[in-house]
Amino acid sequence: MKLAGIGTRRLLQISSALVIVGLLLEIVSLLWFHPLSFVLFAFVAAGLIGLGILVYLVSLLFVAVPSEAADR
Amino acid sequence: MIEILICQIAISILLASIFLIRPSLTSATGWKIVAFIGLCVLPVLCIVGGMNTHVQRSETTRFCTSCHVMVPFGQSLSSDDANHVPAQHFQNHRVPADMACYSCHADYTIYGPLNDKLRGLKRIYLQYVTTPPAAADIRIPGGFKNAQCLHCHAGARSFEENPVHLAMMDTLKSNQVSCLGSGCHDTAHDIVNLDHQKFWKPIQ
Repeated sequence: MKLAGIGTRRLLQISSALVIVGLLLEIVSLLWFHPLSFVLFAFVAAGLIGLGILVYLVSLLFVAVPSEAADR
Repeated sequence: MIEILICQIAISILLASIFLIRPSLTSATGWKIVAFIGLCVLPVLCIVGGMNTHVQRSETTRFCTSCHVMVPFGQSLSSDDANHVPAQHFQNHRVPADMACYSCHADYTIYGPLNDKLRGLKRIYLQYVTTPPAAADIRIPGGFKNAQCLHCHAGARSFEENPVHLAMMDTLKSNQVSCLGSGCHDTAHDIVNLDHQKFWKPIQ
């Protein structure tokens, strides 16, 4: 599987990076009092955070090594 | 409350940074739990908290009037005219002053808040992507509905006992006769004549 090839650690780093960028944009949107701040939050920040969470969950689902295989 | 949310975001960023720099930590069970909290639980809470804050903020008068095209509508709230319906509501706190726009323009139906947000996004699109209409040309799609007035006034003694209202209550409730367009309460956001109006200044 291609995802397995990428590796859990790489996926974790991608996930962390997406979450961090999304959260930083969320802070900007909260401190910026303007109608566009809602757009920045709803379409960019929340999207990046959501994608980061998804990548993390994917890393858990598809790259998890079964314990028996790990023992060998 | 925004400070608490920012603290929560900062903690989430801190935890995510650990796994950005040292992803190998997750091989230990304890760190797996920390990763789940830092990369799933806290970010979800941050999204929920951020959405809640933004939705509440989008209902404030300050937010509405921060849009360039809405500035004259905001100014009209300070009109020193006893017949100016929005100004009288705003100045006499018949609606919460910090949520004056939303109180009268909200769609009080089950999906109303969602519709309001979608309309707001459409206006942002008009403002930044296409040519925005002039402030004087802005009209509420479908006109101002009586339901928005009746949301507060229906059942109020002064409204129900008024002989004029009493005589036409059914037509008012069925929106056949508009509260604003019937010649009774027809001065609302008179921004065309804004330059000729006197303004009320609150005592500091």
